[in-house]
Amino acid sequence: MKIGAFEEIVLLAVGSLGENAYGVTIKEILQERTGKNPSIGALHSALYRMEGKGYLTSKEGGATHDRGGRKKKYYQLTAFGRKVLIEANALRLSFAEQIPELNFFVK
Amino acid sequence: METNNKPPRWADRFLTWFCSEEVVETVQGDLYELYGKRLSERGKTIARLCYIRDVFDLCRPFAIRRINRITTTDMHKHTLLLVYRSFLRYKSSFFINLIGLSTGLACALLIYFWVSDELNVDKFNTNDARLYQVLANSYDEVNGIQTGPVTPGILAEALAREIPEVEYAASVVPASWFSEQGIISLGEKKIKSKAHYASRDYFNMFSIDFIKGDPRQALADKYGMAISEEMAVKLFKSTANSIGKTVEWMDGTVPGSYHITGVFRNPYHTTSPAEILLNYDVFLDSRPWLREWGNSDPLTFVLLREGADGNTFSNKIKGFIKSKHNESRNTLVAQRFSERYLYGRYENGVPAGGRIEYVRLFSIIAVFILVIACINFMNLSTARASRRENQEKEIGVKKAIGASRYVLFIQYLEESMLMAFLSLIVALALVYILLPQFNQMTGKYLHLSADPRMVLALLGVVLFTGLVAGSYPAMYLSAFRPAEVLKGKLRSSLGERWIRKGLVVFQFAVSVLLIVCVVVVYRQIAYVQSKNLGYNRDNVLHFDGGIRMENSEGFFDEGGKHEKEMETFLQQVRNLPGVTNVANYEHDLTGRHGGLQGVDWKGGKEDERMHFNNLQVGFDFIETMGIRLAEGRSFSSERSKERSKILFNEEAIRVMGLKDPVGKVIRVWGQEKEIIGVAKDFHIESLFEEVRPCIIQLEPRSLKIMVKIKGGAEQETIAQLEKIYQGRNPGLAFDYGFVDDDYQALYVSEQRVSLISRYFAGLTILISSLGLFGLAAFTVEKRTKEIGIRKILGSSNARIAFLLSGDFTKLVLLAILIALPLSFFIARNWLNGFAYSIGLEWWFFLGAALIAMVIPFVAVGIQTIKASRVSPVESLKEE
Repeated sequence: MKIGAFEEIVLLAVGSLGENAYGVTIKEILQERTGKNPSIGALHSALYRMEGKGYLTSKEGGATHDRGGRKKKYYQLTAFGRKVLIEANALRLSFAEQIPELNFFVK
Repeated sequence: METNNKPPRWADRFLTWFCSEEVVETVQGDLYELYGKRLSERGKTIARLCYIRDVFDLCRPFAIRRINRITTTDMHKHTLLLVYRSFLRYKSSFFINLIGLSTGLACALLIYFWVSDELNVDKFNTNDARLYQVLANSYDEVNGIQTGPVTPGILAEALAREIPEVEYAASVVPASWFSEQGIISLGEKKIKSKAHYASRDYFNMFSIDFIKGDPRQALADKYGMAISEEMAVKLFKSTANSIGKTVEWMDGTVPGSYHITGVFRNPYHTTSPAEILLNYDVFLDSRPWLREWGNSDPLTFVLLREGADGNTFSNKIKGFIKSKHNESRNTLVAQRFSERYLYGRYENGVPAGGRIEYVRLFSIIAVFILVIACINFMNLSTARASRRENQEKEIGVKKAIGASRYVLFIQYLEESMLMAFLSLIVALALVYILLPQFNQMTGKYLHLSADPRMVLALLGVVLFTGLVAGSYPAMYLSAFRPAEVLKGKLRSSLGERWIRKGLVVFQFAVSVLLIVCVVVVYRQIAYVQSKNLGYNRDNVLHFDGGIRMENSEGFFDEGGKHEKEMETFLQQVRNLPGVTNVANYEHDLTGRHGGLQGVDWKGGKEDERMHFNNLQVGFDFIETMGIRLAEGRSFSSERSKERSKILFNEEAIRVMGLKDPVGKVIRVWGQEKEIIGVAKDFHIESLFEEVRPCIIQLEPRSLKIMVKIKGGAEQETIAQLEKIYQGRNPGLAFDYGFVDDDYQALYVSEQRVSLISRYFAGLTILISSLGLFGLAAFTVEKRTKEIGIRKILGSSNARIAFLLSGDFTKLVLLAILIALPLSFFIARNWLNGFAYSIGLEWWFFLGAALIAMVIPFVAVGIQTIKASRVSPVESLKEE
């Protein structure tokens, strides 16, 4: 399963936002949790890419005045996306197990 | 949103411009939302700046709008299909285009190969930009300023020592200057060859690859010898263990033992390939008089230091000889060595072109041929389009359903590019087949190879052809107005017809020009070959007598053993039944003659500087060559003291202003000589040169032998000669040549030009006629109904054919009118280069005009007769 670190964190963010995951909210939650301000271009590029890979689905809606009448694009994790996240996590844990100082994570 | 709270307008526009619709929908909304938040939290300026940053950040592949990607590939497919269909439908015009373009391309390619090869001659040196040859300008009252490569024997040495700009300098005596061959021997093995002499720094200046040995050390030793790869293989069977071996070298100059110091490989693009290279010091030792500034023999080359300017150097050395030798009237001038080949001719001491003129001539011909082939393509495609029922409608429909002019333009260019590409493939096949013959004609070793420059050149030619051929039809066809075309309105096609006519006129003007030029070149060459030269070169065979070395005292002296042996040998030859005359000689009449100053006939000083051509020959030379005498007699072996006698030619007597010359005594180099005869003027060298004053001296020790053979007895006489020769020179092959061949060789480059230009002119006419043939086919097809009606009304076939060819005849006539004066000037210019040339006859021009008339007339005639023979019922029943 090919997934980059940034893609993984975006995928996690989308999952954690549930019904309200679109460009601005994803950006904000990433900023809040990581302390880093992700570039809007990189974010959208990752979202489009992962939608293409089938990790995410999207639906449109919620045009508001302060969006200049433009629709939001809401993203949702697919089952496949969830599986990718689980596998990526498992991989991480399997490495962490072998490092004594990190063992407490697992047990 | 409030108006003043909007993000920067231009950035917003930029976003909607580059983003695809789908992305804009979500991304722009996000950006607005973010902008609104930032505006309230961090102020307007920051918000705006962030907005701009984000817009640029979004310039990523996923967001960027795809420009008609799908539709364009469809267009390409569609174009290909259309091209394919039109090929199928109009087979004849397809083949005319293909044949025309591919022969045009093949010619252009061949010429390109030839030209690029010419341009590379002598350019193999890594120090090319700094490598100069020093030339000498000599002056006398009769000949004016003559620029030549012969320089004082110690010039190179002095230049290297005294001129700071000179890094290295070398004197070189090229092998081609020696008329007789020497013999290199290793044990029993003997091989004839000629030696090249060069100063020790020669290989520091010229980039010549060494297979064995060190180039810098190759000539360091006076008795070292560098040999070519071929010579090494001949001598030692391989190049492997030749270094250090000792070989014997025998010639009239520097006989002795030499040891091999290196084996080199001659560069492909060199004008003076060498087999044997000896140290120049050896040469100088054998000719001590060359250490004086007044005497000249070798070529001089210099390698300037990095950063030194050639012109400055040339000016600096101008008076160099005079500073050494006050009496000298020679000045020096330097020319880039690599320019010598193409710009070798000097007039009045300044460069006046040379072979570059042929390079230019052929380049122009190549472009003309290509353009003519392209014109065919243009004419045929526009003519085809003007038949209402097909292409115009196609364009109309395409435009009506939304194709832009740009798309159509591209489509037509694509069609012509495709055509050019197809033609290139055919042309390459043609070139591949023709290259061996072409090499034979040009004396080159060209070959097709896939080096990047070649590929680039090919692509360049195809692009050029495709663009030139396709641009006009593309512009013309894509400009159709759909509504008018679909309604079937006839456009006023006046301009279009004019352009097509203009192009035909241009084609034929060029063709006529080429015909005239070819005829003139051909006639001039024929004239040169048949002109009475003042001597008879038929059935005269020549060969090296071969040198037999003997170290006995006075062997080579006047009247010595060598001379006696030579006389015996000549007598043996003379006794052969097939031999009319035989003579030995030092100089010949086909370029290898000497020159001398120092003939004193007035007892003054000034006459000594007159330059005479010098012929040193044995007894009977004048009789063998069939030179006639105006008065007096020639040398006779029956008389004594013949060495103190001389002959002149009539020109020399005229220049000297002598009356009753026979019997007069003059001084040559301080020695008294009696004039015993005056020869009628004869040409030495090619007809580019005028007859110059010539002095004939006796030299019975000469090594080369000339034999006049009775017509019909050549075969057995040569066999007998070989036998006698082998008796004198055991183990050596009998190499001989004919004087006539030598004479022809003087005109090799003219003959090549004549031959090549004849082929190319023929092709030009062929291509032009092909185009006319195609055009005629369309005209006839357009007028099918008219022809039908005319026939019903009683017109004859011939009458119709005449009517239809009338249009074309007018065009060709116009072309002839334009081309004739032009060709007259060009031909006259070329002929001026010869000292003796043909006059321009009226029939050259009339003939060219007739050819230019007849060929297209036949082409058009075939089409019209074909059309007029169709039964009118056939042509009129369709509507």
